Amino acid sequence: MKRRNFLKACLIGGTTIALGKTNKGWASGSFEGYPEAMGVLVDTTRCIGCRSCEAACNKEQKLPEPDTSFDDPSVFEHERRPTSKAYTVVNRYQKEQPSGPVYRKVQCNHCNEPACLTSCFVNAYTKTKEGAVIYNSKVCVGCRNCMIACPFNAPGYDYDSATNPIVKKCILCYDTRLKYGKPPACVEICPQEALTFGHRADLIKLAHERIRATPERYVDHVYGEKEVGGTSWLYLAPVGFDKLGFDTTLSNDPIISNVKDFLGMVPMVLSIWPALFSGIHLLAKHEEQGGHGHDTDSNQEDTKP
Amino acid sequence: MSSYKHFIVAALSIGAISVSSPAALQCAPVPDSITLNQNGKLFSPFTFNHAQHIQSIKECADCHHHTTGTLVLDPNCARCHQNSSPTAVVSCKGCHSATPFSPENLAAKRADKQRYHLDKMGLKGAMHQSCIGCHNKMGNGPTGCQDCHPRTKEGAAFYSTNRKGAKPAHAEEE
Amino acid sequence: MKKMIQHGLAIVDSPYDEDGKKRTLVNKLLLGLTPSQYLLQAFRNPFNWILAAIFAIGIPILIGRFFFGLAWATSGSNDYPWGLFLGFGLFAMVPLSSSGFQLGTACEIFGRHDLEPIERLALLNGLLGYFFAVMYLLADLGQPWRLPYPMVVSFGPAAVLFLVAWHVATYLSVQVAEVSSAFFEWIGFPAGKRAIRRITLGLTVSGIILSTLHQGALGALFTYAPGKVHPLWYSSSFQWLHFFVSSLPGGLCMVITVSTIAAKTMAWRGDSRFHEKLDKVTVSLAKGACMGIATYITIKLIAIAHDNKWAYLDTGWGQWFMFEIIVGFMLPLTLMTYGVHTRKMNVVRLGAFMTVFGVVLNRVNTAMITFNWKLPHREIPPWREVIISLTIFATYIVVYRFILYRLPILFKWRRQEQEETVPEAVPAPALGRREASSVPVASYSSMTKLD
Repeated sequence: MKRRNFLKACLIGGTTIALGKTNKGWASGSFEGYPEAMGVLVDTTRCIGCRSCEAACNKEQKLPEPDTSFDDPSVFEHERRPTSKAYTVVNRYQKEQPSGPVYRKVQCNHCNEPACLTSCFVNAYTKTKEGAVIYNSKVCVGCRNCMIACPFNAPGYDYDSATNPIVKKCILCYDTRLKYGKPPACVEICPQEALTFGHRADLIKLAHERIRATPERYVDHVYGEKEVGGTSWLYLAPVGFDKLGFDTTLSNDPIISNVKDFLGMVPMVLSIWPALFSGIHLLAKHEEQGGHGHDTDSNQEDTKP
Repeated sequence: MSSYKHFIVAALSIGAISVSSPAALQCAPVPDSITLNQNGKLFSPFTFNHAQHIQSIKECADCHHHTTGTLVLDPNCARCHQNSSPTAVVSCKGCHSATPFSPENLAAKRADKQRYHLDKMGLKGAMHQSCIGCHNKMGNGPTGCQDCHPRTKEGAAFYSTNRKGAKPAHAEEE
Repeated sequence: MKKMIQHGLAIVDSPYDEDGKKRTLVNKLLLGLTPSQYLLQAFRNPFNWILAAIFAIGIPILIGRFFFGLAWATSGSNDYPWGLFLGFGLFAMVPLSSSGFQLGTACEIFGRHDLEPIERLALLNGLLGYFFAVMYLLADLGQPWRLPYPMVVSFGPAAVLFLVAWHVATYLSVQVAEVSSAFFEWIGFPAGKRAIRRITLGLTVSGIILSTLHQGALGALFTYAPGKVHPLWYSSSFQWLHFFVSSLPGGLCMVITVSTIAAKTMAWRGDSRFHEKLDKVTVSLAKGACMGIATYITIKLIAIAHDNKWAYLDTGWGQWFMFEIIVGFMLPLTLMTYGVHTRKMNVVRLGAFMTVFGVVLNRVNTAMITFNWKLPHREIPPWREVIISLTIFATYIVVYRFILYRLPILFKWRRQEQEETVPEAVPAPALGRREASSVPVASYSSMTKLD
């Protein structure tokens, strides 16, 4: 009887855990991104801060009207970030420098191994083969873990909506353009061709070629080539990236690699704990039967006769 | 020798403009004015005073690379184009595609493994960079959007110009 | 309540009243009082007035949050997506609720039956802590009605949060099962209790596994944001260990705290066993907590050494970090060690309170205060967010008190003694017919014990 109960107990415990068991191919090794993935190279030396990309994004994605017009330069007074109402913003840096201001467009960088995707517990994010990181608002629960996880602070949340708040971010115009091989709206409108659209692999070569051809124009780094495992959006800059609001402390490993320490220990706990603690229980019980006895008045109804 | 040739060609082109007899030249006729942004939706088409630019710059290669047959200034371009003759097509749009990132253009670029000019600008980018870049460098000439091409009604809507001063610029974000 | 007991009110601690009659459910719910008496004692309690005031303001705002959206109720910040609801509600409530699995393990696995007087309180503390952490979560989620989605609609199994969701949900049901034996006693359904008793070991072991994993997983959630959490609160290798290990003293000290409050404010409810053993049990818990804190401080320092972050200690953040470590962990460790050695219970309890504070501060620091430390501005939660958090916490207290007042948590359900004496007073057949619960003692004594 006792043994049967014990086995039963273990079985129930085991089932409970099996339900919670979640480890499926976590360690994806080093994913270099889809070979056919597209991307955009942002040459900050070319950008003149006209904010046409913001306007184009606003119209293409049918976002609400902006607080102030898209040719209002006063927005540059503060550093801005993408929100649910503006998937891309242009910030101004180095205003005081004699070489003139440097403008930087900010949006979702479409990582090869997106942190948002790996942190999402309903798998709302997809990295498409075209390189876009898209989002399924139909399953989003609204935990906003993706916003915590995103190293570039790209996703914005629709806090204003009470009934259907969703995460909103740049999707590389996937639905309307990228899917058909067309460049995103911001690239198409850019008058200076500060944004170059193409295959990510080609863009990396192109970026290095620009640095090689005009080394006085650029710092020798392509931001996004390696950062957090590589991103579809790549940047060239005339000055150190840290001076343009880029996070230069990011590791070259994707964000998920930080989490692997924990994920790696999950199967260990799942397999060792039941055996360990059931074993300890048996040991403790044996000792008890060996004469220690237990607090007789403490065990509710089932006191020993 | 090269500076001599340079001088001759420059003198010839100025002469060509001043006498307005392009036929006198070997190359394609040089227009005095060009209508740019012909199919512009957000910004209206406008007239570019080519003659005025020739007069003030006097250097075709500043804009036209080696295509006019003048002396190649960029040492990198000179490696190949030192002795290039004038090309059949001189206009910007003849070489710079209006749709540089169309699927067809990207595919063509990928297919052509030997292509050297991989980073060739699109038409819009080439024009804007050329104009604004030079105007900035020279310290004169228009650099604002509407200084060259006035915005259309559609353009005004596109840039949400009616929202001007609605609120202090995105102050809430902070 | 105290006064009423002085006036001869018999407290409900068995299925029968002092006349030997079986108590009805209503009677049990009203603590053996008449409805008017019950209301009277409720009104007399000043604490109820405070609660009423909180609810009067808080409940409309809580409802408003669901009608006007998160932007109305919270800071709705893109840079600080997790505010008070999660920073305090989820991340602080869960570690304080680790008591359930710890005492379960001690009693059921290690055979520490001397801790049994507090086992049920610890289990209940765990259950309610988790339950209200989920309540906070529901208030915070953009679309709370989709909470079951990770279980049924769309799976993101590579996400730590997926593991948390599954484990908290599973563990919540494990805890409901564990606590339900007290409920079955109270309601009078011994078959249910027996069934639970049989699977206790399984429940307990799964409790350990689930707890280890999700307590750690809550920490691991922050390893998704390596650049955003301040380095002193972040460690890629140690984050989950920090959260798991600090949850151990957190849970134990929460039980000390709650039992202290309960022993003071509802002394009538605890039976003599509870009151007599409380000090001894508290000492045992404090010893356990001390071990936990000592380990925690050690691995915290190891983590700093591991990534060589000593330089950060010399900054403003470093001072804040030192404050948390010293006031929240080192000082309580000293106090409790001293208190345990000298048997100064007040010192031990003070140490426990401070540990609870330390664990809460640590979670709030990680999730909110030091989060995004590189950004120039800090987010201060707007008043509605504070009120809602307070309201949910007040509900937690009310539910906690409601259960402690009624279910045999702090006292033993006097069943056997009654059954031995009662048959003379009440005709047994009548009982038998009334409810299956009255199956004679035999069924209990023949019941197989697991431990």
